[in-house]
Amino acid sequence: MSNIIQIDHLNKSFASVKAVQDLSFRVKEGSLFAFLGINGAGKSTTINIMCGQLAKDSGRVLINGHDLDRDSAQIKRDFGVVFQYSVLDAALSVYDNLESRAALYGMSKTEFKQRLAELAKLLDFEDLLKRSVGKLSGGQRRRIDIARALFHKPKILILDEPTTGLDPQTRKTLWNVIAGLRKNENMTVFLTTHYMEEAAEADHVVIIDDGKIIAEGTPLALKNKYADDHVTIYGIEEDAVRSLGLPYEQVPNGYRLTLANPKAATELILHHPQLFQDYEITKGKMDDIFLAVTGKTLVEGAN
Amino acid sequence: MSAFLILVKRNIKLFFKDKGMFFTSLITPLILLVLYVTFLGNVYRDNFTSLLPDTLQLSSGLIDGLVGGQLVSSILAVSCVTVAFCSNFLMVQDKVSGAIKDFRIAPIKSSVLSLSYYMATLLSTLIICLIAMGICLGYLAVVGWYLSFADVCFLFLDIVLLVLFGTALSSIINFFLSTQGQISAVGTIISAGYGFICGAYMPIYSFGETLQKIISFLPGTYGTSLIRNHTMQGVLAEMKAQGIPEAGMKELRDLLDCNLYFFGHQVDLPVMYLIVGIAVVVLIMLYVLLNKCKKQK
Repeated sequence: MSNIIQIDHLNKSFASVKAVQDLSFRVKEGSLFAFLGINGAGKSTTINIMCGQLAKDSGRVLINGHDLDRDSAQIKRDFGVVFQYSVLDAALSVYDNLESRAALYGMSKTEFKQRLAELAKLLDFEDLLKRSVGKLSGGQRRRIDIARALFHKPKILILDEPTTGLDPQTRKTLWNVIAGLRKNENMTVFLTTHYMEEAAEADHVVIIDDGKIIAEGTPLALKNKYADDHVTIYGIEEDAVRSLGLPYEQVPNGYRLTLANPKAATELILHHPQLFQDYEITKGKMDDIFLAVTGKTLVEGAN
Repeated sequence: MSAFLILVKRNIKLFFKDKGMFFTSLITPLILLVLYVTFLGNVYRDNFTSLLPDTLQLSSGLIDGLVGGQLVSSILAVSCVTVAFCSNFLMVQDKVSGAIKDFRIAPIKSSVLSLSYYMATLLSTLIICLIAMGICLGYLAVVGWYLSFADVCFLFLDIVLLVLFGTALSSIINFFLSTQGQISAVGTIISAGYGFICGAYMPIYSFGETLQKIISFLPGTYGTSLIRNHTMQGVLAEMKAQGIPEAGMKELRDLLDCNLYFFGHQVDLPVMYLIVGIAVVVLIMLYVLLNKCKKQK
């Protein structure tokens, strides 16, 4: 896979505040890329620079082979953006909203109607076209936001906390649609989120803090590097757990031991097979990684 | 699909769908008309009749026609600018709602975007001001009609020109606004202040000499005078025919701001058109330039 986004030594300051400092990363074409950080970490600044909304102080941004300094108009065609909050016109109908946005990309009336039919079917909003956006539920509005972002068939879909405030069912539906787009159209997805389980599905994760990259890699590599593994033993007395001499905590119906890696877990089970009648091994979570590298939780950062 | 036309359509639809914005705009000229008729009509009438010599007797219909022309011209002169400001607040609301961000991530020229706001505001304001003009002409027909067909045509032209001016002026001022609070503040200032500085609420002779000189530099003053001329020249001609001497007519035209002076020199009607026309072109160019020069932060 080639790099569809290539950022080298990006810097951006607002007065004395260094919002982005020497940021460099790559995003593979067709991948799901998670960009994590608390509010104010520099995520939005980076996205705004990539989309041509903010000028950078220095550095190089290449999108789909185009240099941001020379081909910003072309780059704008490569991006579809789902903003954190819906920016569609609440007073206008879904049809009017999408028509005005499609016109920005120079689509003909025929192209507009054809694409509208495709997306309405894909995102299941055929019966919402005449409804005012302001009268839609959160989940329905999010589907329209995604349709707006996909209207011009972008190569890269930027999702800025797309599922914040949505119910689990709607979140699941949206992720199914996005998974379909990645599979069928090889679309690259650039995600920022506060939901760590969404980031855990990414091909590559970058965590930034104070405008700098503090950790990056695949979720598995990050878990192995920054998060402990856990073995949960059910139906056991606390004395037996204590005798193992390892840190533990009580959980419903059992105790959870913290271990450095899967190898340590395997050795423990082999040495004490009588204790492991009912147990499970779990890897560290993305939340643990985030806490380990930033010393903060995303939820705290969001508040 | 032309992005420009679709955006103009979107902006006009949003203006008319936003009941707050639309009714505020529409109600402004109506409120002014009611206030003028209720409170200021008698003041204008008394002022005017006190100026007439005892020997000259004018019919009440003629006086009502003159006072009506004065009221109507004031309302229309103010409405063309204040309604444009109300309508053009969409530009600021798009910044508040984030819609402008959605437009700017698309490969569309900023000049297309800015001119779409201008055109939509122009059309929305024209619709409302022409409705107001219709109501005002209806009022004149009731109290005393002295307008010729040419006067009505010129009045239409004056309104189009003043709406062009109001839209361009509001575009430049709104360019610098970005919050709901700023919209309210500017809306209040314009509604309260513009009528005074364009000579619509108070006759210019009632201001101090320095203020009169400052007002003579403002293009809106000449727009007001154009409307005054075309709503009152019929009734003034009738007064002249009924025996008011030429010197008295000149004084009357001066008092009613039909005659305007720039450092003592009388400004003719074609020059007034030229002043407002040039102001419109300069303001539009400035607006486009502001949008082009707007650098990314």
